[in-house]
Amino acid sequence: MGGKVTCTLGEVKQRADFIIYWGGNPAECHPRHFTKYTIMQKSRFLPRGRKDRTMVLVDIRETKSAKAADIFLQIRPGKDFELITILRALIKGQPVADEQIAETGLSRAVVDDLIARMKRAKFGCMFFGMGLSMTRGKHMNSAALLCLAAEMNAFTKFVAMPMRGHGNVTGADVIMRWQTGFPFGISFNRGYPRYNPGEFSTVDVLVRGDCDAAFIIGADPGATMPQPAIDHLARIPTIVLDPHVTHTSRIARVHITTAPQGIAAPGTAYRMDELPMPLKPALKSPYPSDEEVVRRINEAIARKPFWLPDGRQPQMVATLG
Amino acid sequence: MIRITGGKVYDPANGIDGEIKDLCIDDHGKFVASVSGGRTIDATGMIIFPGGVDVHTHVAGGAINFARAMTPEDHRRTQAFMRTKTRRSGLGGMAPTTFATGYLYAGMGWTTVNEAAVPVLSARHTHEELADIPIVDKASLTLMANNEIMLDLLEQGEFERAKQVVAWYLWAAKSYGIKAVSPGGVAAWKWGKDAKQLTSPIAGYDKLTPGDIVTQLARICDEMGLPHPMHLHCNNLGAPGNIATTLDTLKHLEGRRAHIAHSQYHAYGGDGWDTMRSETTQLAEYFNTHPGITTDAGAVVFGDTVTITADGPWQHLLYKLTGRKWGNLDVENETGCGIVPYTYRPSNLVNAVQWACGLELLLLIRDPWQVFLSTDHPNGGCFWRYPEIIQLLMNADVRKECLQKIPDRIKSSMVLPEITREYTLSEIAVAMSAGPARALGLKEKGNLGLGCDADLVIYESDPDVLKMFGHPRYVIKAGEVVIEDGDIREAPQGKEFLVKPAYDPATDEFMRPLFEDHYTMSFENYPVEFERLEHPELRDCIPVTER
Repeated sequence: MGGKVTCTLGEVKQRADFIIYWGGNPAECHPRHFTKYTIMQKSRFLPRGRKDRTMVLVDIRETKSAKAADIFLQIRPGKDFELITILRALIKGQPVADEQIAETGLSRAVVDDLIARMKRAKFGCMFFGMGLSMTRGKHMNSAALLCLAAEMNAFTKFVAMPMRGHGNVTGADVIMRWQTGFPFGISFNRGYPRYNPGEFSTVDVLVRGDCDAAFIIGADPGATMPQPAIDHLARIPTIVLDPHVTHTSRIARVHITTAPQGIAAPGTAYRMDELPMPLKPALKSPYPSDEEVVRRINEAIARKPFWLPDGRQPQMVATLG
Repeated sequence: MIRITGGKVYDPANGIDGEIKDLCIDDHGKFVASVSGGRTIDATGMIIFPGGVDVHTHVAGGAINFARAMTPEDHRRTQAFMRTKTRRSGLGGMAPTTFATGYLYAGMGWTTVNEAAVPVLSARHTHEELADIPIVDKASLTLMANNEIMLDLLEQGEFERAKQVVAWYLWAAKSYGIKAVSPGGVAAWKWGKDAKQLTSPIAGYDKLTPGDIVTQLARICDEMGLPHPMHLHCNNLGAPGNIATTLDTLKHLEGRRAHIAHSQYHAYGGDGWDTMRSETTQLAEYFNTHPGITTDAGAVVFGDTVTITADGPWQHLLYKLTGRKWGNLDVENETGCGIVPYTYRPSNLVNAVQWACGLELLLLIRDPWQVFLSTDHPNGGCFWRYPEIIQLLMNADVRKECLQKIPDRIKSSMVLPEITREYTLSEIAVAMSAGPARALGLKEKGNLGLGCDADLVIYESDPDVLKMFGHPRYVIKAGEVVIEDGDIREAPQGKEFLVKPAYDPATDEFMRPLFEDHYTMSFENYPVEFERLEHPELRDCIPVTER
């Protein structure tokens, strides 16, 4: 099991007559999502727009997004995985006890109604936010939801998509994948890419104190990471490229002010559905772009001696076994 | 400048079949009659081929990048490339990283690759990945046969307008040609359906059939004058009994040019997974009597791989059959894609038949200028396994050995055991280089003639074909020695080919309102900026009737 059954946002705009937001609050976190892509748009297949679509919100509290929902399902905190697993069983007609359903905070009637609607939909889409992916169960929750979407295809068309944010995090994923095979949590310390989230993720490397320098672009770990990680950043030479003064830049040894992407610097940003969007700057900036700074650092490094003694070439290695 | 002396030259484009001949390369990376000075490579006792050309592969873009994300377990066990002065680090395996892709292709003597499936919407991404594939020259094909704006025009009988729109799209994607994947089938998949019959209307349309799309898109490609004809992935891929669909599709071409992609996947008889059998004799016969059509084998090699295709419904079926991971990405208005890791096993009837079918087509289609070496990388197997296929083609005894691994009950479902043909070196040079170069309309590729690109590979002559083709002694790309004695010496940046077919300037304003309806990005941001391409080379479009 695994994988991801998804689509670009235009498919949702064109076809999705049934939309679930799970553990996310788009009304406040992705304010243009409803109007540009999901529930408000009219299309040739859904000519009445909002009236032709049903929106379900699943969350542990009634957020502002609940106002926009046709159905709001308030579930008990930490019971997302259980509810998804119950749905996976029930869509296939497997028995689930009443008390198991009750544990999630929903009644059997509500769950049966949800399943009936999911199966009746012509094109269903589930968006999931950090309320699902970063709470108890974490990636197991995301995997369960992605499985549910895949399995729904036995009955009708169904897809799922994470609600990603934080600037161009999707772009970083995409490029790391084509250059190294992995999206994040990569170590190059053997001269080739290795992947192990939980070991090579930035936070883990910092907390263990494994790195003796840090180079940070377009992120503010000083605001979000645990204190031991921040302490280590303050201990080692930390270089920050950022248009603004941030928590991280305050503890950094060097802060290079750069032009803000998309405002004063060109580039490409990947949307949450992995479509690349060109960034066209509207303003001029006296500061260099991140790209220019990195290129100049690279050029300076290239003038230094190679990391292996002269005449030595590293060998290709087979990592089999 | 380089002079290569004493080598045995195989240059089928110029009718040269194993002649001892000197080759000279000038400073612009072209073959010339003579040079004075520069390096001399003594190739006495060695074999010289034009550099390999892959007519159909998936090496860059959203789909293969999705596959990379889905197969970290493979990255761990595969060949790792360490960073050196001339080389970036990377990983080989089922879905190699971009830098490794360039090194692996060049490492076995391939110097040009054609990325066969690009949605316009993510073409910007594909070009950025292509720019990160070193050494080889590159081209890419745009997915068109499920583009809803184009299908709507065909449904309305607006052929001329559809032609303008296709040309507009091609220039927006900055690509080299048109790919048609399961015409209408991917559009139907947007509603969870498929299109398997050439003559039945597509889900969501009243009149338009897959057959109509095949006929009209082939005509559009010819009238636009693309250097490479319509590149067609037929409907009903992979299904038992699909030979009928394939032959029906070929008839719908109505005599126009076409390249049929990975025909192995389209040559099956039987009416279920238990009765599936090879029908390559029928398909090969069609090619043997229709010299204007080319194909690539899409051969299967046993072992692990990951399947990637725009054919969404087929991948859903494969997921249901295998219970393995399933990736699916529907792309608004244009196409879709599906990804499922897969293991081909000799003991499995379907897999064994597929393995046989690929080799059978390569052996039964008589003219090597019509059938090319491919595995539809990574679908039938990874491209770095091509030397294994070359060995099977050149050596009937090795084929016999492999057939021993296949249970007897399966052998009656294939014709391979009866085939005795063995490829000559010259025929291999056609199937891996000269043939695909000609089909792509790249005249200066796959050709060691004067003025052509100095892309060539030099092998140590060895009766062990696998060793010989797996480990070239030298690979020269655009006159630069990139591989020598098993080492990557240089990793220059290759070119990217594209075309600019003519279209009515009013097409922009015709497209704008349709675009705003169908898409979710702004119209101005949609076309890939020409400046984004690294080392672009624009090629001419000449309508077929004027050639």
